[in-house]
Amino acid sequence: MSRFIARRLGFMLLTMVIVSLAVFLISEAAPGDVARHILGQFATPAQVELLRDQMGLDQPLLIRYRDWLIGNDWKLRRLVGMPLVQKPVGDRGEIGWYAQAADGTLLQWKMRKEGLAELRTAPDGTKEEVPFDNWVEDEDGNSVHWGVDTANHVVLWVRDQVARETGVASAGRAMTEASGEQYFPIRKGLLRGDPGISQRTGRAVGPTLMRRVRNSFTLAILAFAVIMPVALVLGVLAGLKEGRATDRAISVMSLVTTSIPEFASGVFLILVFSFWLKILPGAAVFTSDVAPWKDPKLLVLPVLTLTLVEVGYVARMTRASMVEVMNAPYIRTAYLKGLPYRRIVFTHALRNALMAPITVIMLHVNWLVGGIVVVESVFGYPGLGLYLLDSAMFKDVNAIEAGAMLMVALAVGTQLLADVLYTFLNPRIRYT
Amino acid sequence: MAGQLSLETPKTKRTKKTLGGLLVIRDSRVGMVGLTLVTFWVLVAIFAPLIAPYSPLAQDSSAINQGPSAQYPLGTDTMGRDVLSRLVHGSRTILLLAPLSVICAVIVGAFLGLVGGYFGGIVDEVVMRLLDAIMAFPTILLYLIIISAIGPSALNVVIAITFVGAPGVARLVRSLTLDIRTRDYIRAAETRGEHPFFIMFREILPNARGPIIIDSMLRVGYAIFSIGTLGFLGLGLPPPTPDWGGMISEARKYIWTNPLGVLWPALAISSLVVGLNLFADGLREESTRYQ
Amino acid sequence: MDDHRPSTPILDVRELAISYKTRRGQVPAVRDVTFDILRGEAHGIVGESGCGKSTVAFGIVSFLGRNGRIVGGRILFQGQELVGRSEEELRRIRGDRIAMVYQDPMQALNPSMRLGDQMTEVLTTHRGLKLEAARERCLEMLDRVYMPDPANVMQRYPHQISGGQQQRVVIAIALLNDPALLIMDEPTTALDVTVEAAVLDLIAELQRTFDTAIMYISHNLGVVARVSSKVGVMYAGEMVERAVVERIFIRPFHPYTQGLIRCVPRLGMDKRSSHLYPIRGRVPSPSNLPPGCIFEPRCDYARADCSQKKPPLREIEPGHWVRCFHAEEIAQTEWQVPADLAEQLARPAGYDPNAEPILRITGARTYYRVPSKKLLTRKKLYVKAVDDVSLEVRKGQALGIVGESGCGKSTLVKTIIGMEKPTGGQFDFMGMDVSVPVSKRDLALIRELQMVFQNPDSTLNPSFTVANQIARPLIRFKTVPRDQVESQVLRLLQMMKLDERYLDRLPRQLSGGEKQRVGIARAIAGQPELVLCDEPVSALDVSVQAAVLNLLMEIQAELGSTMIFIAHDLSVVRFFCDHIAVMYLGQIAEVGPAEAIYAPPYHPYTEALLSAVPIPDPRAEQKHIRLSGTVPSALNPPTGCRFNTRCPRKIGTICETEVPPWREEGHGHRIFCHLPLDVLCKMDAVVTVNQ
Repeated sequence: MSRFIARRLGFMLLTMVIVSLAVFLISEAAPGDVARHILGQFATPAQVELLRDQMGLDQPLLIRYRDWLIGNDWKLRRLVGMPLVQKPVGDRGEIGWYAQAADGTLLQWKMRKEGLAELRTAPDGTKEEVPFDNWVEDEDGNSVHWGVDTANHVVLWVRDQVARETGVASAGRAMTEASGEQYFPIRKGLLRGDPGISQRTGRAVGPTLMRRVRNSFTLAILAFAVIMPVALVLGVLAGLKEGRATDRAISVMSLVTTSIPEFASGVFLILVFSFWLKILPGAAVFTSDVAPWKDPKLLVLPVLTLTLVEVGYVARMTRASMVEVMNAPYIRTAYLKGLPYRRIVFTHALRNALMAPITVIMLHVNWLVGGIVVVESVFGYPGLGLYLLDSAMFKDVNAIEAGAMLMVALAVGTQLLADVLYTFLNPRIRYT
Repeated sequence: MAGQLSLETPKTKRTKKTLGGLLVIRDSRVGMVGLTLVTFWVLVAIFAPLIAPYSPLAQDSSAINQGPSAQYPLGTDTMGRDVLSRLVHGSRTILLLAPLSVICAVIVGAFLGLVGGYFGGIVDEVVMRLLDAIMAFPTILLYLIIISAIGPSALNVVIAITFVGAPGVARLVRSLTLDIRTRDYIRAAETRGEHPFFIMFREILPNARGPIIIDSMLRVGYAIFSIGTLGFLGLGLPPPTPDWGGMISEARKYIWTNPLGVLWPALAISSLVVGLNLFADGLREESTRYQ
Repeated sequence: MDDHRPSTPILDVRELAISYKTRRGQVPAVRDVTFDILRGEAHGIVGESGCGKSTVAFGIVSFLGRNGRIVGGRILFQGQELVGRSEEELRRIRGDRIAMVYQDPMQALNPSMRLGDQMTEVLTTHRGLKLEAARERCLEMLDRVYMPDPANVMQRYPHQISGGQQQRVVIAIALLNDPALLIMDEPTTALDVTVEAAVLDLIAELQRTFDTAIMYISHNLGVVARVSSKVGVMYAGEMVERAVVERIFIRPFHPYTQGLIRCVPRLGMDKRSSHLYPIRGRVPSPSNLPPGCIFEPRCDYARADCSQKKPPLREIEPGHWVRCFHAEEIAQTEWQVPADLAEQLARPAGYDPNAEPILRITGARTYYRVPSKKLLTRKKLYVKAVDDVSLEVRKGQALGIVGESGCGKSTLVKTIIGMEKPTGGQFDFMGMDVSVPVSKRDLALIRELQMVFQNPDSTLNPSFTVANQIARPLIRFKTVPRDQVESQVLRLLQMMKLDERYLDRLPRQLSGGEKQRVGIARAIAGQPELVLCDEPVSALDVSVQAAVLNLLMEIQAELGSTMIFIAHDLSVVRFFCDHIAVMYLGQIAEVGPAEAIYAPPYHPYTEALLSAVPIPDPRAEQKHIRLSGTVPSALNPPTGCRFNTRCPRKIGTICETEVPPWREEGHGHRIFCHLPLDVLCKMDAVVTVNQ
């Protein structure tokens, strides 16, 4: 069995690698220039070029993939000559990059009108700004300095050269002054937990993503907790009563609810419960900072919408499996042994009957994720799905990539879990 | 010689047989309900210009976001367009795009599944790993990525649904192929030295027909579901094309002032998908019972 | 509870009728079945597939599914009526007083429960035993069915033990409550012949010691002859004859029973000295039965009255019941081959033992690579399916290859035809090299080697008409010009005794025998030099089997083709083949002319095989040789002689260390054994028939 699980793990890793490449390639290779998109259509070509440089978009694709995946701080530190470290900035959980001097002082540099300034943060937290004058000569005899700016780039500054261009990004954030000769955005890499900066908001993707994931998770786990027991019981019941009225009622009802798209059933529920009965809120009005469980009423309709769609699917799977098992020869054996019906069902049939649906259900997690995106959109629920949707609309590459990888990891992880679960339930695999 | 011997089964016979297979639906009450719903929408789509009282694009600035009235039986939308006309014309879009994308997915998927399943080995491994990787994506995410990469348009919706649907078809066809491949008649063909493509397309594919047809029916329902979802998320057909998902998304914003505006398209898409699924399920049930 | 009089039968079935509800209405699957089983008696029920024998069994335990129903008759069990009892009362009887064992033990056991739990629940449910006491009893019972290491077995899951052991567990479960009636439905059909023999021994022994009444259902006349004291013959849902076993097999009255016995080759019969006589026509479908005697349309003795009135099952001699108006008369007359049948009897091909070999295989090896089960091992594992096999096939010869499942006979044939790539060895076919896979062979070579397959249900592509199936090789091999294809198809069909009405039929409209004929027609269409037959008759009912064997013989006589014939039924192989090779674990143990294989000297494995074959003749006496253990894994076969782990005649360590020499007896008869030839020659014949 260990071999089986190792194989699955291998496949999972392989899948993740392929997926990461695909996500990266698709979103990077998408038509339309991200820099142009951020700056808006009135930006000058020079501005666009500058932003591309600042965002590292002028690097070769493979380098960018590497930087995105495992980061580049370990490489850039050689340019600066000091270790690069991340420290929190402000109180919103944002994180900034600093160069760390031997005595522990954190350094950043900023171009002022009067020349390059060094921003120093001592280990005890005291800050000071001093003019910089520690230039080094490069091969061409220019006085240059490799340093870290305040917007997480490693920058090559040349002495006496002040800002080239400035502009305003369309998303409303001011573009950093472009005073350096060369820019390398510092990244820690997705694998090391840093998805980069959102181009839409200008903030780090990580913290926002985490809050969104928390909200979506609340929704998904609640839905799962409602769906599973209901669906399994209905499915088993229908399977046992194969062909009778109970079965037909359950089968047809579950087919109907499964067939209605979430946005339609969500709308029906809003109309009934919020508009006409006025007993439940029809939209989730809270910001992503507030935990959703603070106001449980908000969760009722989204969970109900997901349940409607998913219960039918799981119930039908369970039913089919139950029917198959109840017709299996070993159930006939159990019957011919004169065992009571309850024992036949509970001891002989259930375990075998639940084996197949569990894997199918776990594979279905992809579908549930889709449902969550739509439901979040219907109810304006600030979850991961809505975040991704908004990011996709804006071509916010870093956010899409991070969110997508997270979703895929989740999906592949549950599939692995399903496989492991299956091997534990199925002695035929467990003991070979 | 008594009977005239024909080496090729006449085409008419083949189609008759397939249609005859579809006729089992008569024995399923639920399947007939489904068929009725589907037929209704197909007729609406065919005769859309006759049924719709207005052009789906015509705007009436004097009647914006209104409830049902004698002039506009189902009301108007935010741009003063007749909801009924848009609904009727929307059925055309969806009933054209959904089957088209399923046909594309089935062609691509069946080919990959046949090749992977029949050749096995490294070919199968590579094809299946790639498809697994696609299937590891939550479908909605795939749509998001694809559409945000290539932009929303009718053609791109078809491409996206093909891309998302083909792996599932490939898996089905592959498992059918793996099963059929072990049959003795395939070995007979192999020992006759038949070309692999002859074996795949002439010996295997016809025997996988039944399950593929039923699967395709379910897939059309699913495609409509997806097209609706894309439209709702703003990834579907660009405006002003009448699109049920898009109509719901628009009307959703004004649900507190004009609740019925959102109800009609939601009912339309639900009834169509439910109809298709009931039909496909009835067909599956009846045809397996016959075996 | 055994207070009933000893003369009361344990089971008394009277005029039982069972129907199934289908879309086309009620289908009477079983009609008017009457028999009884006494205490300690083993009653066989024999009949071809679809005759309703299993339905009777499931009717007795009232497990007919939702569409089956007992529509008439009575089932008296220990004097008490079972028909009409409540479900709860029946449940108490099932598994306690009446136990059942049926085919395919792997399917019958729950794959996800430990065997111990599946055993003890019978006792805890019916006897209310505590778990500990139940376990004790189970251990004891496993011991009685000769299960090695019972305590360990109880901890295991079904897939972890062999098929023979699974069936022992199922039998043990059935016997746990010491039932009054044990119903066995084809309990050994899925097992290999040596395993079957051991299970049959066990059943006979248990019957003696437990004094249980046994109802034994089988399609195999030989098996029924071995275990039963009385036999009932069923045909198309009715019992047509019932008598003690000797009467059924030696002096049957009913024309169907007679026909059935004439269909089966007995061990030792061959095609030159005897004939198989198939029964004409086919079994009527239960929804369309003849109005009079159900056998009338196929009967050689049918008279006018037979088609009008239904004959009753009557006792014409004490203990001998027959459903026939003219049984006495038939019993008097000697059966004459009817004219239409005589025409169909094949004349075997004249085969010249000194003809040139057309296929010569030397040192053939076919290995399959299997993935290692251990994590992180680089060692490659190979299943040595065929390992160092040398064979010659002469022109016009019918070479039989026998052996139990897994012996490599199918792999050998697949290698010859090019569906498997050999790992080594020389393959010479009429001067051409056939060690290459079929995809790399010339069309000219491909057409010379064709194959007939085992399973009639999968041998034909369900999407194509009969005409298409047969025409394809004609077109592909350009056997005849394009414009003559149609007439050639018709000619081939006629050769298969099928007429032009079959041309446009699809496979699902054909019976098993007809499908197999079309498959044969397809194989011989290209006029191949060598036809490989992989168990061509083993999936067919005996009466159909006889017809197909006759057909193959006729083809061989007419076309002079050479055949390799794989089968597990030693009687069929003996009957059909000129030359036979016995395989064990990837190697040939013995090869030689058919008559030499079935008479001493034997290879010890051949001897064991022959002593295991069930013979449909109660007078036959067989030596009692049972192999111990199971066939070793082909991944890691025993060194020296591969049979040494199980050989009853093992002489010492030489068998384990050295590869045995070939002992040549002459006429091409060779035995792969360390025993010297004179010792082998002194063996007794395995089978003797007392007249």
